[in-house]
Amino acid sequence: MRFKVYRFDPESGAKPAFQDYDVRLAPGEHKVLDALVRIKEQDDSLSFRRSCREGVCGSDAMNINGRNRLACITDVTEVPEPVVLAPLPGFPVIRDLVVDMTMFFKHYHEIRPYLVNDEPPPERERLQSPAERERLNGLYECILCACCTGFCPSYWWNPDKFVGPAGLLQAERFITDSRDRDTAGRLAFLDDVYKLYRCRTIMNCTEVCPKGLSPARAIEHIKVQLLKRST
Amino acid sequence: MSARPVFLDLRRIRFPVGAIASMGHRISGVALAIALPFAVLALQRSLDGDSLALAGWMRIPAALLAWAAAHHLFAGIRHLLMEAGIGSSLPAARRSAYAALIGGAAIALAAFVA
Amino acid sequence: MRLFSGQRAFVLQRLTALVLLAYVAGALLRLALGAPPELAAWRAWAARPAGAALIALLAAALLLHAWVGLRDVVLDYVHPLALRLAVLGAAAAALAFLGLWTALILVSHAL
Repeated sequence: MRFKVYRFDPESGAKPAFQDYDVRLAPGEHKVLDALVRIKEQDDSLSFRRSCREGVCGSDAMNINGRNRLACITDVTEVPEPVVLAPLPGFPVIRDLVVDMTMFFKHYHEIRPYLVNDEPPPERERLQSPAERERLNGLYECILCACCTGFCPSYWWNPDKFVGPAGLLQAERFITDSRDRDTAGRLAFLDDVYKLYRCRTIMNCTEVCPKGLSPARAIEHIKVQLLKRST
Repeated sequence: MSARPVFLDLRRIRFPVGAIASMGHRISGVALAIALPFAVLALQRSLDGDSLALAGWMRIPAALLAWAAAHHLFAGIRHLLMEAGIGSSLPAARRSAYAALIGGAAIALAAFVA
Repeated sequence: MRLFSGQRAFVLQRLTALVLLAYVAGALLRLALGAPPELAAWRAWAARPAGAALIALLAAALLLHAWVGLRDVVLDYVHPLALRLAVLGAAAAALAFLGLWTALILVSHAL
């Protein structure tokens, strides 16, 4: 099976370029990640991140034939040859398919991804009704793989100032959590020219989320809540 | 440490239909903004009583402008509806993106042959 | 809303869009009811205060909508601060000029 893989060696000083590989997969090897492991057998200098190999850790997010996907759950039969593997668009490339996720996590941290509640803790849990718990569905499952943020043109143009779909989805996860007490603060933080409002509802994020989540819908909810607060 | 490269070769990225509609929305918006002075000029000419007939060579720019107005309108309505919660699911959003693109192209064609 | 909130521009863009939509709907309705007006009828209508006001409102909505849209494009692509301010300033000036020009056209036509 033929692959074209993005190669970049920071030590060589050469510009990034695509390198061709041809691998044969053994029976039982069906995923792009399996192919990457085979490629690495041929060429040990290739670098890529991977861990769980079952689509829950988000380490092997990359651009496969033009779309951001997780290599471990992308079946090789789904991707026409030559399969083009590139790093997540818009992220600084450290080496080959490994990108710098610093800015991505900076945005995640700045939306305060933790419960803010200074009320004295109850003896056991802070209770939620089933309906309140329901509101977290579609938000808590994010694995922070960055497929969405790496496919968002608004993030490409302003990665340092726009929080991005993943960060905004997590912001909504805590805004909508009935146990959180700083909804006003969270919304006020996002009411900024760049942080939230660079979103143009292009919906590339929802198109590529490997967990089937919809950052676009989460962002829509945030905008509606902001509107309600000021009118 | 020298600047790290960023992969942003737009030719190698496979955009979903919604992104295409969005790109069209932006391009048409800028085109319409550039056409604004001509619109004011047309208003002046019409109120001065001058003829507004279009010269032959104006057919293609006029059709392009018609596309811009139509696509921007349809894509804009699509955005307003999605924000109101109508058609914001992925399958519906894809369908409406196709509708906006096809509608805009149809208007452009109609303007060209009219 | 705070002074430089993102929400102000967002709301203005949607509001002016709705106004423009109303004009499009009105125009389509008018076309459905009969042939477009003769040039003389159009000129007479635009000379009256109500007609001129409707044209002025359309121009205002159009120019404000264009402003928010162009500002979005500049914020996305122009990153150096000084250049960004210069481009935004130029765009604002151009749109203000168009607004003033339109107002003067309407006023001089009515007189």
